[in-house]
Amino acid sequence: MNKLSTKIPKKPYPSPLIYLGAPLVLLFTRFSFNKIGFDWEKFKTNLDNRHIVTDPLFDPKWSWAIENTALPLIETIQIAILASLIGCFVALPISFFASKTTNPSIYTFALNKSFLNLIRTIPDLFWGMLFVAAVSQGPFAGVLALTMFSLAIMGKLLSETIDAIDPGPLEAARATGSSQQQTVFSSALPQVMPNFIAYFLYIFELCIRASVILGLVGAGGVGRIIETQRIFLRFDRISPIIVFILAIVIVIEQVSVYVRRKVL
Amino acid sequence: MKDIPKKPINQTITKFIISIVLIFLAIWSASGLEISLERLSKAPQLTWTLISALYPIDLSQEALDRIIPKVFESLYIAWTGTVIGAIFSFPIAFISAKNTSVSIKIPKFLTNKNYFIYSSQFMKQILNIVRAFPELLLAFVFLPITGLGALTGTLAIGIHSIGTLGKLSSEVIEGIDEGPLEAIKASGGSKSNELIFGVIPQVMPTIISYWLYRFEINLRASAVLGVIGAGGVGQELINQLRFRAFDRAGTVLVATIILVLSIDTVSGALRRRIIKGKSVTVEQN
Repeated sequence: MNKLSTKIPKKPYPSPLIYLGAPLVLLFTRFSFNKIGFDWEKFKTNLDNRHIVTDPLFDPKWSWAIENTALPLIETIQIAILASLIGCFVALPISFFASKTTNPSIYTFALNKSFLNLIRTIPDLFWGMLFVAAVSQGPFAGVLALTMFSLAIMGKLLSETIDAIDPGPLEAARATGSSQQQTVFSSALPQVMPNFIAYFLYIFELCIRASVILGLVGAGGVGRIIETQRIFLRFDRISPIIVFILAIVIVIEQVSVYVRRKVL
Repeated sequence: MKDIPKKPINQTITKFIISIVLIFLAIWSASGLEISLERLSKAPQLTWTLISALYPIDLSQEALDRIIPKVFESLYIAWTGTVIGAIFSFPIAFISAKNTSVSIKIPKFLTNKNYFIYSSQFMKQILNIVRAFPELLLAFVFLPITGLGALTGTLAIGIHSIGTLGKLSSEVIEGIDEGPLEAIKASGGSKSNELIFGVIPQVMPTIISYWLYRFEINLRASAVLGVIGAGGVGQELINQLRFRAFDRAGTVLVATIILVLSIDTVSGALRRRIIKGKSVTVEQN
């Protein structure tokens, strides 16, 4: 019996960092929960306030919403279309520069990579505020904000895809004496094109979601209406808008899932 | 010389149609939003004006005393929101995955056949609905109950995270290797043994890395939530920009970028380590 059984490998010991890290994480969690300041008594007394929101929320005013939100909703969709188109096509050359497989120069690589990393850290609504300050209120600020937003996401996704492409066709193109630019156009671009289309649809979805809230800082779209009605606590007018947005998001999601399955 | 195979003609036609449609959509949107090329070409210059106004950032003690606690408040909101999301989404993921879902038998007198309802069928839809609401809309709903402050942001982010993490985790659970489960069944393990020794060890690394990934996203979301007064650094940025205190807005922006970058770096390294695992040498006999 013993002869047959092989030695069972021992379970590796957990790294000592875990013994140090786990209590620290727990302490940090406790500390942050304290900082957030959850007061059960206050919560219970304020729970009656929920009627301010929930009662009108479930009593939607459809006719008002259809009359007043059709144009801002179209504006929201237009912002998303324009921003995702500009952002993604600007990201296309940048992500080829930000990948080591297609860019032999270390300096332009580092420059483009760090540019992409930097713009990725700034949240979408912050872009909205900055562009409202720069080019004044209106949908134009929203388009610019979402352009930066989609540029950041597309840059990251696409440059990582380019990192992982098959180097064979690139080598073949170089062997025939093509220039760097020709190599990228003939060998790298066709390889990432299906991914580019899939990412584009994904980013378009994200842009629709993001453009809804951009209006809160004055960057156009349906968020402007939501913000003004929210200030007056007219949740009965907000709830049909939410339903419309959900419907649009779900339709676009289904279409993009279908197209993505076809392309990839 | 051999003929090079021609590109199929309908592919070219599809490409042509798609580009026409895209161009048409772009023109339609641009005209609807009253955006001309002239305005577009002016934008970089205007943006540069703003950036140069931000540049000598305000590092006075007063500004730092105001801004740094707000930045850290965003961090606390993101972390507690992620913890709430992780704790609640973990069991929910199991009942909303197809292969580990709970079944409820429909009573005999309602149907003439044996008919089961699986919890995955409706839990998936519930998660989709929860996920569809942006954090900001959730925060609106919580504002009258929890008041202006960090708690509102935490609850909004927590609930949204339950939706997203629940969906991602249940997809991980659906994608597991069934082999270990069969082995446990064959050696006489119970259903709960299968779960504890078969499913959880397989899915845990991926799920933990999703938690960390969600933490990175939540950090950005919590920074934004301040705009409507739900705590965090967004409030500070919008106030400084409204009062045209661009140097202070620069401080807020730089502080946010530093925080997000450092959290991204740490959490990215942790995720890579968790997914790759420690290299183990197995003794051969």
